[in-house]
Amino acid sequence: MEFTVNGEKREADVEYDMPLLWVLRDELGLKGTKYGCGVAQCGACTVHVDGVAVRSCQLAAGEAEGSDITTIEGLGTPETLHAVQEAWVEHQVAQCGYCQSGQIMQAAALLDQDPEPSDEVIDIVMSGNLCRCGTYPRIRAAVHTAAKKLQEA
Amino acid sequence: MKLTFVSLSLALGLVLTGPVLGAGDNVEINPPAEGSVNREDGLAAWDRIYEVASHPRCANCHTGADNRPMWSGPSYGRARKHGMNVNAGESRIGAEFVLCSTCHAYRENLHDVPHAAPQVAMNWQLAPVEAEWFGKSSEYICNQLRDPERNDGRDYLALAEHLDHDLILHWAWNPGGGREPAPYDLQSHVNDILVWGVAGYPCVND
Repeated sequence: MEFTVNGEKREADVEYDMPLLWVLRDELGLKGTKYGCGVAQCGACTVHVDGVAVRSCQLAAGEAEGSDITTIEGLGTPETLHAVQEAWVEHQVAQCGYCQSGQIMQAAALLDQDPEPSDEVIDIVMSGNLCRCGTYPRIRAAVHTAAKKLQEA
Repeated sequence: MKLTFVSLSLALGLVLTGPVLGAGDNVEINPPAEGSVNREDGLAAWDRIYEVASHPRCANCHTGADNRPMWSGPSYGRARKHGMNVNAGESRIGAEFVLCSTCHAYRENLHDVPHAAPQVAMNWQLAPVEAEWFGKSSEYICNQLRDPERNDGRDYLALAEHLDHDLILHWAWNPGGGREPAPYDLQSHVNDILVWGVAGYPCVND
């Protein structure tokens, strides 16, 4: 199967049913996307498929074939962070950090569809991404900061 | 209004005497002859339809204007709103917040993993708010389902075709993941819709 991952054409010889998460981590070596629960209840595996946030543990590789996939490795670069990543650093959002790539990918997708989300919208959209360290107040603040950065850019 | 359904069906030559497969080709749409079903048998068919409509596999996604799907049924313990603060929005597909398809992705085969997001070969969504069924009585749902203002203008043949075409509905009888399926089976449910329609869409309040 062929995929476009972070702007590059990639191939993987996998079964239809293999979760996209396994393709990314085990076949393509992109370990930034995390395995949390495997059943779409935690959000740690969130990536963008054709610009839309999806839980990669739930998407069959066969359904992602030919798609344009962005993982945390492709959202920004160390030299040029995405606005959400900049805000995450400024607010020191991460504690243990395990859930954070999924949080950041979901937040970036949120700001693509709603450039100035209210607290209520942030809470609804981000509730599918669990953080056992309880960094939720910093996540909400960082989303607001990222929204301002994107509007000023 | 019921007469309008029948008149329209007659005008379009849709009162069928033999089996005709819809475009979905998943069930036979073979209604009884007009006038062959009495009210008592029509109400008995309705009672079975209500068993299906009120079952968690159907009713959990036929929720009201708060646009929140439900988690209820034997495999869910107590009835509660869908976890993760999920809100499908007025779009009923989650476009305003998180798309249903973020987790309920398109999939050709059964996703038989317990506790995972059910998936079918079409986009997951809530039913229209006009078709609110969760917690509603048999009488309420009966009147909704025969009201073209609240059933997307469908007569009994169109309801049967809807059941044939929309694969998300078929999932109710094959939900996988340890979930209890809806009662009876798809073909029996379609047959009951046809019997109820030919009987004149009787409801207990008539």
